[in-house]
Amino acid sequence: MAAIRNTLLLAALLVLLIAVPPFLGLGWQNALVNVLIASLFALAFNLLIGQAGLLSFGHAAYFGIGAFAALHLMIAIEDGFPFPTPLVPLAGAAAGLLIGLIAGYFATMRSGVYFALVTLAIAELFHSLAPRLEAVFGGESGISSMRMPWSDITFGSMLEVYYLTLAWVLICGLGLWAYTRTPFGRLTLALRDNEQRVRFLGYSTHSVKVIVFAVSAMLTGVAGSLQAISNETANYSLFASDVSAQVVLQTFVGGSTVFFGPVIGAAVFTLFSFLVSDLTRSWVLYQGLIFVLVMLYAPSGIGGVLQHHIRNRRQLDWRPLSGLYLLALAGGVLITAGTVFLTETVAVLFGEEYAVARRNAGGSLPAYELFGAHWDPTDIFTWLLPLVLLAGGGAITVSTRRHVTAFWNRGGGSRDTAARPVSLGGAA
Amino acid sequence: MEFAIISTLNGVTYGLLLFMVSAGLTLIFGMMGVLNFAHASFYMLGAYIAYAVSSVFGFWVGIAVAPVVVGLIGMAVERFLLPRVHAHGHAHELLLTFGLALIIEELIKLFFGDFPVNYQMPGGMRFSAFSIFGADYPFYRIFIGGMAVVMFTALWVLLTRTRTGIVVRAAERLPAMAEALGHNIPMVFMFVFGTGAALAGLAGAVAGAFYPTNPNMGIELGVIVFVVVVVGGLGSLKGSLVASLLIGLFSSFAVGLDWSLASLLGVIGLGDWARSFGGLMTLKLSSISATIPFALMLIVLLVRPAGLMGERN
Repeated sequence: MAAIRNTLLLAALLVLLIAVPPFLGLGWQNALVNVLIASLFALAFNLLIGQAGLLSFGHAAYFGIGAFAALHLMIAIEDGFPFPTPLVPLAGAAAGLLIGLIAGYFATMRSGVYFALVTLAIAELFHSLAPRLEAVFGGESGISSMRMPWSDITFGSMLEVYYLTLAWVLICGLGLWAYTRTPFGRLTLALRDNEQRVRFLGYSTHSVKVIVFAVSAMLTGVAGSLQAISNETANYSLFASDVSAQVVLQTFVGGSTVFFGPVIGAAVFTLFSFLVSDLTRSWVLYQGLIFVLVMLYAPSGIGGVLQHHIRNRRQLDWRPLSGLYLLALAGGVLITAGTVFLTETVAVLFGEEYAVARRNAGGSLPAYELFGAHWDPTDIFTWLLPLVLLAGGGAITVSTRRHVTAFWNRGGGSRDTAARPVSLGGAA
Repeated sequence: MEFAIISTLNGVTYGLLLFMVSAGLTLIFGMMGVLNFAHASFYMLGAYIAYAVSSVFGFWVGIAVAPVVVGLIGMAVERFLLPRVHAHGHAHELLLTFGLALIIEELIKLFFGDFPVNYQMPGGMRFSAFSIFGADYPFYRIFIGGMAVVMFTALWVLLTRTRTGIVVRAAERLPAMAEALGHNIPMVFMFVFGTGAALAGLAGAVAGAFYPTNPNMGIELGVIVFVVVVVGGLGSLKGSLVASLLIGLFSSFAVGLDWSLASLLGVIGLGDWARSFGGLMTLKLSSISATIPFALMLIVLLVRPAGLMGERN
């Protein structure tokens, strides 16, 4: 039954993904392409941390490699090389696999923090070398190309790029999911849980890790090449540490312990940055806050919390729980409002425009505009409002959290400290 | 000769600055096994706090206040945030500090803007210590180096010659045993973390007045500091001193040298053959001076993860 229901859910999602985009504007189509690419990137990344227990801090390397490989192939197609454009991501896959095998061979000789440092060093190596290597990475300006038409498809519109991306992401995502069901996929999990035992069973753990690393790098390369197809350009900034950082944030906020958790994180973050980045310059700060809150209060991420509830849905007494959650949500909304108000106020008061306004006002503090209203920085109400919001929200969240914890400990469900669902509202 | 002497001086002062930051990082790792991604952010925080305070109360007050504030922040992180994720393993601790680094950087941008701030040393310190080959050598570089030397000596004496030092070293080696003997180990951990953060803050406060103070200074120094602690051996104070000087000297020499793989192969008569390849072969050392530290770090991690002077693997 469960399998049928999941399949139906997936099918419904697929229909939405196919049917809706033609009715959306160009901006949204572009945003969805980015969501899909980020999802694949996060899934590939999570193969390492979620399945094999290896934390990579340099996955930008394979993303960038995939993008550059795809662009080189696209340039060759422009020059008349007969290769179908929809298959260009194969170049990214091949390049990612190759580099992943080499890098993975060395990186997986170490584990834990040392593994993270090796991957970090490899990515930094690419990042610092790429601007110097004109022939491969096109120097500081990078390389660019054009999508060439293939049979009847011109790849001129964003919609065509979207469907191409969707097809690749679905194939790779489902392939990855199928991979986790194979005996080798189970072995990967065993590696995370007890490496010594796997070695005792007679497996060469190093070669298993190398293969897992290479598969992850290969799919990351596909994601990179999809980005290259969508943007038609790439430069060395793809290797930068914030690309590696983004995928870490998305994966853990989404939940690394659940297979499709990273997709949630990737979708939420990418859509939010699409919606919010025009409104605020502090978007990265909010991302950081969300990440730290998730790390502190729901280490298994959004996906983990959801899965925990779905698993226990029959045993749970939903009536009191949903009331508590609504309360927690209200508290979270208050805290969020207070935080956003304070942050945006600081952003305005310490901004350059306000400095000019102050000079014009002869050194006094003029009123500023925020959220469609005027605020006077010398008025105590301006500061009382966010403080009341924060204090009220904090009080509600803390007391609700106590109740929720008590509820779960009473046996409202199986006890799972990693997924204790507390104050997610604060992270919304 | 001129190049060699000037580069050596610059390299040693830069290396000593690197050491000021990496000392705290390596101490914290050695003791708690936490690789603190936010450590370089503490350095940046020190520079900005010193800038903000010194613009009102003067330079020396800024230098004094910055490490105290940063140290307190460090203690708060260790006391209230890290224990929450401790149960989920070192990966989560690392991720938490990584998130904190992100937040600190963005908060700095929020308050001080994306561009460098005008944090300057007082006019009274803007003189040349001596002149060499007709060029004046700034006193402030010597001051930075001197601070680091004083700090290293103080740490060394504290760790090896005092009772506190014995407890700290015991807590590093066998925390459970030290606790059984009646020492308050969580308190020791908190103070070590705070001291490490304060040292980074002090380094930022001192160096920010000489090098540019901008929101990228944390990340830029952060990766180099990782290189230093890895090459020196995670957890080894002596090792990180040696590695700091090594990296400092290297980066000041590399910018002035135009060696390449091709010229190296030229020694055995393969220069023209290598030059025909182009690419990696003809890259000059000066243009890849940012790459070499990472290559060095990679080699150390793969060949000898314990680093130059680390004991544990």
